[in-house]
Amino acid sequence: MLETTRFESERLAPAAAVIGLGLAAFGGMMTLIAPGILGDVDMAALLEQFPAPMVEEMGLGKMGTIEGFIALELYEYVWLLGLGAYVAYTAAGFIAGDVETGRMDTLLAAPISRWRLLVEKYLALLTPIVVVNVVVFAGVAGAVQVIDETIPLADLVAVHVLSVPYLLACGAFGMLASVAAPRRIVAEGVAAGTLIGAFLFEMLVTNTNLGWLGAITPMRYYDPLTILTEGTYDAAGGAILFAAAVVLLVGSAWLFGEVDVQ
Amino acid sequence: MAPIHTDGLTKYYGDVRGVEDLSFAVEEGEVFGFLGPNGAGKTTTIRTLMGFMSPTEGTATVLGADIRDAVALRSVRGNVGYLPSEPSFNENVTGRRLLEYHGSLRGDVRSDELLELFDPPLDRKVREYSRGNKQMLAIVVAFMHDPDVLIMDEPTSGLDPLKQEQLLEFIRTEQGRGKTFFFSSHILSEVRKVCDRVAIIRDGHLVELEDVESLLDRSGKVVRARLGGEFDPDSLALEGVHDIEVSGDGGEGDDESGDRSDSGDSDGSGDAAAAKGEATSVTFTYTGAYEPLLRHLLEYDIFDLSIEEAPLEDVFMRFYGENPAKRVEAVENGEIEEYESDEPTDSAEEADA
Repeated sequence: MLETTRFESERLAPAAAVIGLGLAAFGGMMTLIAPGILGDVDMAALLEQFPAPMVEEMGLGKMGTIEGFIALELYEYVWLLGLGAYVAYTAAGFIAGDVETGRMDTLLAAPISRWRLLVEKYLALLTPIVVVNVVVFAGVAGAVQVIDETIPLADLVAVHVLSVPYLLACGAFGMLASVAAPRRIVAEGVAAGTLIGAFLFEMLVTNTNLGWLGAITPMRYYDPLTILTEGTYDAAGGAILFAAAVVLLVGSAWLFGEVDVQ
Repeated sequence: MAPIHTDGLTKYYGDVRGVEDLSFAVEEGEVFGFLGPNGAGKTTTIRTLMGFMSPTEGTATVLGADIRDAVALRSVRGNVGYLPSEPSFNENVTGRRLLEYHGSLRGDVRSDELLELFDPPLDRKVREYSRGNKQMLAIVVAFMHDPDVLIMDEPTSGLDPLKQEQLLEFIRTEQGRGKTFFFSSHILSEVRKVCDRVAIIRDGHLVELEDVESLLDRSGKVVRARLGGEFDPDSLALEGVHDIEVSGDGGEGDDESGDRSDSGDSDGSGDAAAAKGEATSVTFTYTGAYEPLLRHLLEYDIFDLSIEEAPLEDVFMRFYGENPAKRVEAVENGEIEEYESDEPTDSAEEADA
């Protein structure tokens, strides 16, 4: 059971550790310097220098608090955009990469079904997702203990926990791209590109009367800024993301069962 | 029931034909060679048999499982070994870990024993592997679960001659244990060595299916003779003589002329001709009985005579249908290029207009 998940996890683990430690260092440092910056800089005055729409759309108004500062410096962009695109990109390489190199032939010659192979590879994405979340949480939570101000630990936990369904949905989309695209580089480009496009799209339409269109983007259902600054958790959003991941994964598995592996 | 059986197997890639209407059966315990030039459809057939691609029409069974039925096919896969034509593995992983992984997917009952014969450097990463090492790793993966049926796509490619020989020997031994082999190749000597029967495929169609022995019998012998005296090709109008080539011969004839004048059973002119070095080299293909041929040849002074099996190359060339020498000649003379360059010229003119 799960031999493929284990095999693929081993291959993803080193990168996951590097990314996790790097982001933990970054997040920890941001947390440590945040009180100083917020104390020295008059955020309200600074933000007046920026165009109002930019402040509005990028949520910069929340930057004046430590929670908002951390959310914007770390989670809002690195998690939503960076990690989401990374997971989608990695997933996109799974099937398309194996097919392109011919490795898939050796795998499919084994008595294992295509859907199981696909699902097991997908589950390997939990390795970077979990490793990065745990390591960065530890880094930020540790830094919070050092500084005078405090961030509610429950909120910090929620930011990480609720990012899991978000990242799983990104990964499932990557799997679909991996099965549907003709070549690996196309699959990876489509997966990561779509995530980046969706992020920009959601940012642009949020405060317009086309805001409802943002409902098709996964970023609508996971908002680190709100979690940290307001302490409200969108559990329903998490459920929707999880359901979307399942639907996308089932779709990819079905498609993979139908296509010719060439 | 035959371990592998195809019935009108057809695979098109869009409009491009892969293979068409292939019907054959591979019997239990035989080594079945699947031959054809590059692009004939060998790999397409194999990959369709493995269930990687679904047939456009017709079908096939492997150990009784219909290749269109993924569930049935999966249930027999534990008993099928597969060696792809260009084995590929994750580059950043050691051979040992890959064997462990693939063993966990299909079962591993004999990799230790196989590694005695085929010994890739297991502790190194596949990235550092040569083509031959990858091939050996793939061979171990193909056999490690001790399957009854082996489907192999050009199994000796990438191996050094020693390992090639070892693999062929191994195939023979495994056949002795009752295993069935289906493998594609374009290397005739290896086919000759291990195959019981061969199917020849050309342009996606099956053009011949026969045992190797009768294929060779039917293709006859190549006779090469150097005969003294005037030789009249028409005089060799025996049944079963084909493709006579006659050429004048000097040089060596002089050295041997002494021996021949001693034999003294020829008339004077023959001796004189031989003495002057007027020998004739004759080459032809012969499919008849030996005696009439020898009786006929004895009418001449025989300086040299060899009768040997026609090389398989000639046999296959006949089925493949294209004489490579003629094609090279045609390209060299610009005949083909001229023909193919018509269109671009036209379009260039259109573009100008």
